[in-house]
Amino acid sequence: MNNMELSLVLFTVLSQAAVGLTVMAALRQWNVSPDEGTAVMSREWLIAGVVLAVALVISLFHLGHPLGSPRTIVNLGTSWLSREVLGFGLFGGILAATWALSTKDNHTVGSLGKVTALVGMAALVASGMVYAPPSFPALNNGLPVLFYLLTAVILGAAFSSYFAAAEYQPLLTRILVAGLVVGLVLNLVLPSVWLAGGRVMQMTGDAYYGSGIYWVRIVAEFGVALAVLGIARRIPVWLPVMLLFGELIGRIMVFTHVVHTASNIGGIY
Amino acid sequence: MKKQLGFLVDARRCIGCFTCAMACKNQYHQPPGLVWRYVHPLKEEVFPHRERAFLTLACNHCERPTCLEVCPVSAYTKRSEDGVVVHHQKKCIGCGNCIRSCPYGAPKYNPALKKAEKCSLCWQRLDDGLKPACVQGCPTGAIDLIDTATFDAPDTLQYIAGFPRFPNLNPSIRFRPPRQPLEIRR
Repeated sequence: MNNMELSLVLFTVLSQAAVGLTVMAALRQWNVSPDEGTAVMSREWLIAGVVLAVALVISLFHLGHPLGSPRTIVNLGTSWLSREVLGFGLFGGILAATWALSTKDNHTVGSLGKVTALVGMAALVASGMVYAPPSFPALNNGLPVLFYLLTAVILGAAFSSYFAAAEYQPLLTRILVAGLVVGLVLNLVLPSVWLAGGRVMQMTGDAYYGSGIYWVRIVAEFGVALAVLGIARRIPVWLPVMLLFGELIGRIMVFTHVVHTASNIGGIY
Repeated sequence: MKKQLGFLVDARRCIGCFTCAMACKNQYHQPPGLVWRYVHPLKEEVFPHRERAFLTLACNHCERPTCLEVCPVSAYTKRSEDGVVVHHQKKCIGCGNCIRSCPYGAPKYNPALKKAEKCSLCWQRLDDGLKPACVQGCPTGAIDLIDTATFDAPDTLQYIAGFPRFPNLNPSIRFRPPRQPLEIRR
């Protein structure tokens, strides 16, 4: 893995965590309890914005010429990368406005918070499509979008537990358990589906099942986390950090273990 | 039908000498380790003989190029007069999206320039009435320049074993498959 790919790993995971936080905040905005006032929600919007800002800065490190980044929105007609840049730009702008308003009037944020979450989801879909090119048959479908949505749900619910009032903790725990169960099933089954595909997809499936970090992630991020949540019935303070590392490992695997079509030229497809 | 230039790769004639790749390198002086054209040996699963066969490949100048579609700064254009896909270095910001997305692995990363680059089908030479450097350099005549819009040799294929099939991109390349070796018994 090179530095450019590491930059993309961090950017995608952190930006999805920011989208997840805003979605969870927007969900809770529907019924803000007396215990959970403006200050708490305001802090959550701020943290989501800071995480997104860090992600966007890190993303510049994958460019050979970062100063050219403002021009990346000129090919909106066909390039999902242009759409992703525009999407996250809009998301960042609206998120900043939401935070600014939340410091003044919580009721105004209500509808704007939902709009922020929707724009974040749209940016996340565009981001997923960037990583679904024809060169990676295993990902040339809706899988990257699904992966990214799952990351947003898992990290959003997990880190939202730092901000939510006690009455919302069971809801966040249930959302996290649902996300982890879907993630576990998807990650266990997918390599088998790839093994049933063409030669390049089979190479991807073999690479996943033969990888040590794949099994570490299955056990640590999904197995241990589900067991802990099953026993504790709440999200322990250390769990979101462990899940973040799990998601980073998962993303590193996407960049290093999914096989490119060109790597098998001269062989059977 | 619109003119679309591309390569004819004759695997019967290719001896895997890499002269095409070196001719390209002599023309464009890419940094060490970087080549726009590469000679791929056919694997045993495709050509199970003691004798070997090769596919020499560079950019296929597709009818619907992925590189052009995914580039966020529109650094790629397709020439209307001959269909050549040109990469404009001045516009490139080195995001690597074309490198990741092209299923044929044509765009490469130039670490010295921190930008992508690829085979240009020697469009400057074409405009001067010359053949591409690889075509001119091949000692066995295994590569030729063709117009795929009018080219119609019955013994050639667009997709050959060992070459990925992407009909949506419609790569501008034709292959003459390798001849099966003659078996001599004592």
